[in-house]
Amino acid sequence: MTEQMAFYFDASACNGCKACVVACKSKNQLPVGINWRRVTEYGGGSWVPDADDPTRLLPNNIFAYAVSISCNHCEKPICTEVCPTAAMTKREDGIVVIDESKCIGCRYCEWACPYSAPQFDAAAGVMTKCDFCQDELAQGGSPYCVSACVMRALDYGELSELRAKYGDVSAIEPLPSADLTEPALVVTPHRHAQMSGAGTGRIITMAEEG
Amino acid sequence: MNTHDWSLVLFTILAQMSVGSFVVLGIVHFLVARKHGAEEADRMSDRALLAIGPVLVLGLIASLFHLGNPLNAYNAIGNLGSSWLSREIFSGVAFAVVGGVFAFMQWRKLGSASQRNLLALLAALIGLVLVYSMSNVYLLRTVAVWDSVLTPVSFFTTTFLLGALATGAAFVANYAYLQRKNPGCADAQCVLLRKTLSWIGISSIVLLGVEFVVLPLYLVYLSSASSAGNLIAGSYSTVLVVRLVLAFLGAGLFGAMVYRNAVSVGREKAAGNWAYAAFALVLISEILGRFLFYASHTGFSL
Repeated sequence: MTEQMAFYFDASACNGCKACVVACKSKNQLPVGINWRRVTEYGGGSWVPDADDPTRLLPNNIFAYAVSISCNHCEKPICTEVCPTAAMTKREDGIVVIDESKCIGCRYCEWACPYSAPQFDAAAGVMTKCDFCQDELAQGGSPYCVSACVMRALDYGELSELRAKYGDVSAIEPLPSADLTEPALVVTPHRHAQMSGAGTGRIITMAEEG
Repeated sequence: MNTHDWSLVLFTILAQMSVGSFVVLGIVHFLVARKHGAEEADRMSDRALLAIGPVLVLGLIASLFHLGNPLNAYNAIGNLGSSWLSREIFSGVAFAVVGGVFAFMQWRKLGSASQRNLLALLAALIGLVLVYSMSNVYLLRTVAVWDSVLTPVSFFTTTFLLGALATGAAFVANYAYLQRKNPGCADAQCVLLRKTLSWIGISSIVLLGVEFVVLPLYLVYLSSASSAGNLIAGSYSTVLVVRLVLAFLGAGLFGAMVYRNAVSVGREKAAGNWAYAAFALVLISEILGRFLFYASHTGFSL
């Protein structure tokens, strides 16, 4: 029996192609503006004058990497804590699900979640979110985002097993500190990754419609 | 800031004004009744009491416009065990019901005076619990710009500032109504109005002082907590300046004018006009301040 389902993300392998976003969108028939999985690009660094010729600029510490995040099905989910209707619940296997028939669309969970996981469906007037492809899991399949990843940068499974296999990092920039909600997420940092709270870069994701 | 947040600006301001008015009115009624008898106290405050209900109901209706699925609104008290939002809605409705029952009994003089006082005290306590819950809604550990003691302090300051000035304006209107029947400043109501307005003038200056201590602290906190500080200092700086000028004029300068005119006999009309103007300016200022409060949560960009 699974105690806490979790995602694994390998930032050192991800090339930011967004196949995971598209697979999720397709499987769940998500309208424009709603993405249960999102890829955020983070970058920084600067240019410095060449010591020999100060009129020339040389690149220094310039870096960029992508972070793919859905719902982290946190061990201390703030969405379930603050939801006034108890529509947001954590199942026995750790998956956080929303009962859309209970939701009043107050968007309080959207304010509270630092991962932008609960997203508002304006047409239906309720919040929606990643359910870990529970229908697929029930039939022995994998979440669509994991199956779709061309770089094999995504994995899923029992949190303790993922931790044993991949380590215990779960907060690189631009993700918030893991203390806030204890995300069920294991990350292999990119070689230039900066730890949460110690970042010198910024989010550089290009605006796009989808 | 999303347009739907305007409904929250209205809801929180109107609900806090209702609670503040109820509490201030209760204190004034208690003090006046002790010195001048219940009858004079009732003459002074009964009409003002009846005005609070519609303000609160308007606020509660405004809050419904915030919901994507208002048909499910009854679910909003489904998580009282852990959600401050549930507690806010619950105490809001409880304040409306208990306060409403009290107002009806007071209006029709049902029950004994001590029974009504007990009910009023209960309603006032529920009202304060409402403002407390309301500020806790924003104390989210994931939202640094809201998660500080400055949030409850500013909510309670707004509550009492708007409560005092709204009550002052209501007393002036009530007095004008009584004057139509009985012109001149010969009766006890005139003395009471002057005395009350002078205290409201002083209170508004004191509460303005609290706001002017809290605001700089809040701005410093904002700039350390997130980039929202830059937002407030940048694109919304005009709104912030207008809010501060209105608060200073309304609660400070006009509050002082209310006091000055209220302490001299025969200047009730001027004191009343300053009280109206102070209320109007501070109301606009508080609405702008609340707008900035919501705007400071710029959302997460993942």
